[in-house]
Amino acid sequence: MASVDLKTGVARDFGEPAPTAVWLRAQADRAGRLIARLLVASALPVALGLLWQVAADRAWVSAQVLPPPAWVLQTSLDLVSGGEIVSAVAISFTRIAYGLLIGASLGFLFGLLIGFSRRADQYFGATFRAIATVPSLGWLPILILLLGIDESLKIVILAKACFVPMAIGIAEGVRNIPPALKEVADVLALPPRTRFLKLTLPAIVPFFFTGLRLSTAQAFVSLIVVEMLAGTDGIGYLMVWGRTLFQLDIVIVGMLVVGVAGFLLDVLLRRLEAHFAAPELRHG
Amino acid sequence: MTLEQVQQKRAAVLRPELRKDNGNAPATAALSIGRVGKSFSLNGSPREILRDVSFTVGKGEIVGVLGASGCGKSTLLRLIVGLDQDYSGRIAVSGEETRGLNRDVAMVFQDHRLFPWLTVAGNVGLALEALDLPGKEKADRIRHYVDLVGLSDYIDAYPKQLSGGMAQRAAIARALVSEPNILLMDEPFGALDSLLRLRLQDELLRIWDRNNVSIVVVTHDIEEALYLSDRVIVLEANPGRIHSVIDVGLDRPRLRDDPHIVSLKRQCLELVLDPPARITS
Repeated sequence: MASVDLKTGVARDFGEPAPTAVWLRAQADRAGRLIARLLVASALPVALGLLWQVAADRAWVSAQVLPPPAWVLQTSLDLVSGGEIVSAVAISFTRIAYGLLIGASLGFLFGLLIGFSRRADQYFGATFRAIATVPSLGWLPILILLLGIDESLKIVILAKACFVPMAIGIAEGVRNIPPALKEVADVLALPPRTRFLKLTLPAIVPFFFTGLRLSTAQAFVSLIVVEMLAGTDGIGYLMVWGRTLFQLDIVIVGMLVVGVAGFLLDVLLRRLEAHFAAPELRHG
Repeated sequence: MTLEQVQQKRAAVLRPELRKDNGNAPATAALSIGRVGKSFSLNGSPREILRDVSFTVGKGEIVGVLGASGCGKSTLLRLIVGLDQDYSGRIAVSGEETRGLNRDVAMVFQDHRLFPWLTVAGNVGLALEALDLPGKEKADRIRHYVDLVGLSDYIDAYPKQLSGGMAQRAAIARALVSEPNILLMDEPFGALDSLLRLRLQDELLRIWDRNNVSIVVVTHDIEEALYLSDRVIVLEANPGRIHSVIDVGLDRPRLRDDPHIVSLKRQCLELVLDPPARITS
């Protein structure tokens, strides 16, 4: 039988170790491809930046409404050195973390419940879907009356926003466990604990990550709006404050921060997903 | 083999009489199926899948179940293993009537059905989860059975890294590791290319020789059924019922082109392709 390097998988060439020159060339190729990809991806932002600069130079829009990039850069440096941005980001991210932790965990459990139990789905499914269709912010007026505009309001709104996509994803994942593997688990008489750990959990990993990514995206959207409408701190509040002072540069800085943070978080979650969803990398 | 023995074997011809044992099989039978019937309703109209199927499998015997597709062969295995408990008649394992999943019965499916996120060892070990074994013995057993199917070098490989034949071997190890008395195989080599199929048939016989497990192997491959089995049960369709039982009655190792097998094959072909009216003597 041919020997296969189990660490690297069958697809990888095995046998002779690659000479250093070949390895170096491969690394250079990889670096080249990475640079090319970055260039392609940054073409649009750079073009938009240039357009912005030109628009400001030619005064197509008044500087009050669309401050030139240099102002925005200066403002962001000021906000960073003054600590406003850092504290706003810290506050907003803490809220997202709590919202995700509470909402996504409850959504996970609820998803398991309605995924596994047809009866639970019959009891709760319709109500859940009805609640899910009302956007989180539709709950804001009534929740403000109930909870005030304190921290609990934001956490509840964010938790609700995270709960829905996670519950839907997990329920979907549970219903998509391959029937062939469920039959094997039946025939092998797997104890419930083993069945959960070695069949259910691994099978729903991709659905979990989709749910988590959607939850995070929802959390961001809701966070900014709730901070704008009912906040005294955080990035959303910073942006409203900037608008009230007619300092649109502050608003733009806030938008940039949210955009970059959301993008980085999405990249991180995709990385995690790729890691956990590759069967070769998982241990049973 | 003496000439006399050879002649005796040649004389063991097709026995088309219908076995009508009414479920009172001797208690020594590893498996006895008594007048098993199965039907379900399809869009409101009842459909009969199996009717009055009775046979026994002796300890260490290999019984082939042969039939065209749609004759209920796979359904029969699902009833025996307990995946489907809605049937009439009785099924007894080692003399004890059983309905539902039974630890003494293992099953190999046509597709390997390995868990993609577990290694070969992890997959084989799944079958021991229900047994309360100390860790050391568990690991030893897993290694033993992985060795037995010739996958020692791949014990830490994931299913994706295995070829089709290797994956099916791992599935066989998973079925055998709990040391069941009865192994059910549902077209176990049907998805493999023909050369590999021949090799795995020989490997199965080698494993069987060491384990003395009773095997019921469902197949639509006549040669496979005759080469592997002590007896071959030929099913006819609509509803699925036993048409005839063929005693192969040859010692092992067998020659694939043994004249006896060749002549049985011709008769089987006639039975399967062009089933004559049932002979009710």
